[in-house]
Amino acid sequence: MIKASDIIPFFVIIPLAGAFLLSLFGRRARWVPDFAAMVAAILLCYLSLLSARLYNTYGLLKYSVGAWMPPVGIGMVLDGLTAFLLVTVNLVTLCVTVFSINYMEKYTSKWKFYTLFLLMVAGMNGVIITGDLFNMFVFLEIASVASYALVAFGTEKHELEAAFKYAIMGTVGSLFILLAIAFLYTYTSTLNMADMANILAEKGSSQIVLMASVLFIMGLGLKAALVPFHAWLPDAHPSAPAPISAMLSGVLIKSLGVYTLCRIFFNVIGLTESISSILMLLGVISMVIGVFLAIGQWDFKRLLAYHSISQIGYVMLGIGLGTPLGILGGLFHLFNHSIFKSLLFLNSGAVEYSTGTRDLKEMGGLSAKMPVTSGTSLIASMSIAGVPPFNGFWSKLLIIFALVEAGRYGYAFWAVIASILTLSSFMKVMKYAFFGELNRKWDKVKEVPFLMKLSMVMLAFICIAGGLLIYGGIGDMFLKPAAEAMLTGTKYGWLILNWLR
Amino acid sequence: MFQFTDMFRVDHLSIFVGVFSALFALLSVIYSFAFMRGRKKLARYYLYLLLTLIVSLGCIFADNLLFLSVCWGFLGLLLYLLIAFGEGKRTSYTAKKTFIIIGGTDALMLLGIALIWHLSRTLEMSEISIHLNSKAAISAYLCLVIAAFAKAGAMPFHTWIPDTAEDAPVPVVAYLPAALDKLLGIYFLFRISAQMFVMDAGMNTFLMALGSFTIVAAVMMALIQHDLKRLLGYHAVSQVGYMVLGLGTGNPIGIAGGLFHMLNHAIYKSCLFLSGGAVEKRFKTTNLEKLGGIAKVMPLTFITFLIAALAISGVPPFNGFTSKWMIYQGIINSGKTGGSLWILWLICAMFGSALTMASFMKLINAVFLGQPHESLKLKTIRRADPPPSMYIPMCVLAALCVLFGVFAYRLPLHMFILPCLGRQWEGIVFSGAWQPLLATGLLLLGIVIGFVVYLFGKGTKIRRVEPFIGGETLEEHPDMRISGTEFYNTVRDMESINTVYKLADKKLFDIYELGSKITFGFNAVLRYIHNGILPSYLSWCLLGMIILLKSLFFK
Repeated sequence: MIKASDIIPFFVIIPLAGAFLLSLFGRRARWVPDFAAMVAAILLCYLSLLSARLYNTYGLLKYSVGAWMPPVGIGMVLDGLTAFLLVTVNLVTLCVTVFSINYMEKYTSKWKFYTLFLLMVAGMNGVIITGDLFNMFVFLEIASVASYALVAFGTEKHELEAAFKYAIMGTVGSLFILLAIAFLYTYTSTLNMADMANILAEKGSSQIVLMASVLFIMGLGLKAALVPFHAWLPDAHPSAPAPISAMLSGVLIKSLGVYTLCRIFFNVIGLTESISSILMLLGVISMVIGVFLAIGQWDFKRLLAYHSISQIGYVMLGIGLGTPLGILGGLFHLFNHSIFKSLLFLNSGAVEYSTGTRDLKEMGGLSAKMPVTSGTSLIASMSIAGVPPFNGFWSKLLIIFALVEAGRYGYAFWAVIASILTLSSFMKVMKYAFFGELNRKWDKVKEVPFLMKLSMVMLAFICIAGGLLIYGGIGDMFLKPAAEAMLTGTKYGWLILNWLR
Repeated sequence: MFQFTDMFRVDHLSIFVGVFSALFALLSVIYSFAFMRGRKKLARYYLYLLLTLIVSLGCIFADNLLFLSVCWGFLGLLLYLLIAFGEGKRTSYTAKKTFIIIGGTDALMLLGIALIWHLSRTLEMSEISIHLNSKAAISAYLCLVIAAFAKAGAMPFHTWIPDTAEDAPVPVVAYLPAALDKLLGIYFLFRISAQMFVMDAGMNTFLMALGSFTIVAAVMMALIQHDLKRLLGYHAVSQVGYMVLGLGTGNPIGIAGGLFHMLNHAIYKSCLFLSGGAVEKRFKTTNLEKLGGIAKVMPLTFITFLIAALAISGVPPFNGFTSKWMIYQGIINSGKTGGSLWILWLICAMFGSALTMASFMKLINAVFLGQPHESLKLKTIRRADPPPSMYIPMCVLAALCVLFGVFAYRLPLHMFILPCLGRQWEGIVFSGAWQPLLATGLLLLGIVIGFVVYLFGKGTKIRRVEPFIGGETLEEHPDMRISGTEFYNTVRDMESINTVYKLADKKLFDIYELGSKITFGFNAVLRYIHNGILPSYLSWCLLGMIILLKSLFFK
């Protein structure tokens, strides 16, 4: 008999198997890599939506790898937060895969690309779904290493330099995470997150836990690109091929950074007042500094990369607040950001595909030649700038309301200022890239191929429809369970272990 | 919080504003048939115009603040898209600037709404009543006022209006910045000032000060403009000052005057822009130095423009006079509660009115009267009035200017304006005696008598001589003509004002330019720090960690 919880390992198995098979058979025929990646992406997307439904019918789902019972064996847990992030990651993966089919034609050895791509997806899904702290670290490293290689995929000079910086800083971050896990292990003698949460709740806090918290904030903050640990991002994200930029900014920093921070600080260690204020402070600093840096950029993708820092700041600000409304807003913004930011990166990729440039000064008037690209990027810009009725507006609204409700007027004010500056910088993109007079150079430019258009239109549609996520059924299915999972706090441990017995 | 039940509210004010929004949309669409003919992407243009109307009706009839802010923000996007239909070289710059100002203030509005929710736990406008006694309440009010000001174009959030007026297509200007955005901005200002917040004397004074300053400063800028549409744009700013001033008086007659002025302004400013558009369509320029003397070939346009110009200058019996008169009374009444600042506001308002008149003298002379510019080749043209789909909206608006002036009490005030104030309006006492019908009769009588005297009196015998300019004949030397653009250069050259004008030329008073200078200052510093050197990036991480350690371990 098939149990509902049996779908859990497939989130790792499918991409991992895909990557393995591609590396063996990818060179046989031209269509194999595209086909295999497409099948994997569609399956993953379907499974993730299914998992959200299963969670709503069966509640918490749990799976023991190799039938070894936790806390000795590795456990995988599907709760509200997991289901929410799985949907986010795999939805974006699907759109990006569709985009890559045409876009990656200009590179050689597509099979290598898809192998790395699927490895990265396997890592991200693994991080999200695992219930074991060390296992989380392993998946985190899988995703990180795959992304280092993908950033360098073009093997141009600046791409290698960016990948080198990214690898160095990413490794430093990983080491600190490992150290933090080691500290917690010495203190609790377990690696299972639920078990650890229980033991921590019993034994109470100590200097070791504090030290581990600092190391986690630093290491995971680096993965999430919070200021001042952000410096690798503006080099790494623009250097990658556009679909990978979309993955990195859209979901990688969230699943490796934000999700892990949430899981550890909300469900394992427990959110204290001081950690909450540190997370919020980091959020505000990232939000403001990121946008101030973004507005002066002339490289399309670099501008977008700085905006990722700024938007992650919003997410952290909402989540760090720790109130139900704040968490809801933060998570919703996380979802929205992954949609509109991947769309924007795909737009920049489409422009680069057609014109061969990323310099905003060289573009101009492209809306006449590339109506789909300019239309979708207008929608994405409006979303990121928080213009109603697009999805970004609703999540920013929730965050600002939550901040005001908690009496944090100053933070709310900065959130508004950052929103205004975001709008300004995307107005700049619109003006220089798409509107105005057509640059004579681009008289013969054509719109991108069908699959790239399709992928952009899908994401743009979600941008428009995403605002509905907080209403009615859809919101209850995705967002609320995720926020509830975080609000459970360290009771998470009891929930899961009780369920076991 | 997100339960959109009881989303709409229908009362006298929303019906009144809604009806006129629809009217202006209709006129603007009719005008566009001829004006926009032959341009590209017209289907999209009309779609945006229509959407603008629908969304603005959503704004007007909304009772839920959140719903209002959604519509409000979407309007900014539509305006941005509509401006992009302009054909000028700076259009994309103007569209960007406009949307940054409008969209930015929308974000502030959101903050204000969040504060209101925090204070009163409801977002239904009809249930909100907040006293301005805490910092949060005052900030909430100011955030909303900023949004209203940016929409209506009051200083210091006005700078998008002159630019938009110059670069956007004329029907868009006549519909949005001239009419609809004023209606919405002042509508919202009325809702917050008169209904949602309980105003105190200090805030009223603040509003009146801003209003007075807007009137005078904008009209001074209008005096020195060289472009027809830009000049009208500055007047669109200046007139907002009257509305803010009227609402700021806090007494029923002043508020009624402010609302009435909002309506009047929308009518005559639309008319002015549409008439100006007719000139632009025919002669392909709005530069005052290249126009002149076209009243002969465009008599209809001249008449509608003249009526609207007289109305905006507050000449009786046109509509602008009545509303200004009510605002003056409101200012005087506000003086009864104490303080002597009202004298200052009154002087500003009247002085602004005089300067408006002066600048329209210049405008009419430069465009319709005076010597024509040689490039116009007026001698070869017999009639240049626009086609019916353009002149019908102009004539309708001009007729409204007259009707709403002559029958001020009977038509607009009783039907639309006074019921908006609810029970308050019964207390309105008009001081002084102004009977528009009687006055109009007397004025007409005066004109008739004058005409009779002219026909039968000595006036018929006039002496005709050639104008003497240095001994040359004007017709042979078109470069000798006086275009009218230099009427007020003396004002510009006055020493104290001169420096202010120079600073204004450098865009020092433009909140957008100021903001972008500050932003790029920060940006330069931050970019300097991000030097791309790996060791320094790693050392930031270390530094960040040390600070984290310190803040967690040594609190």
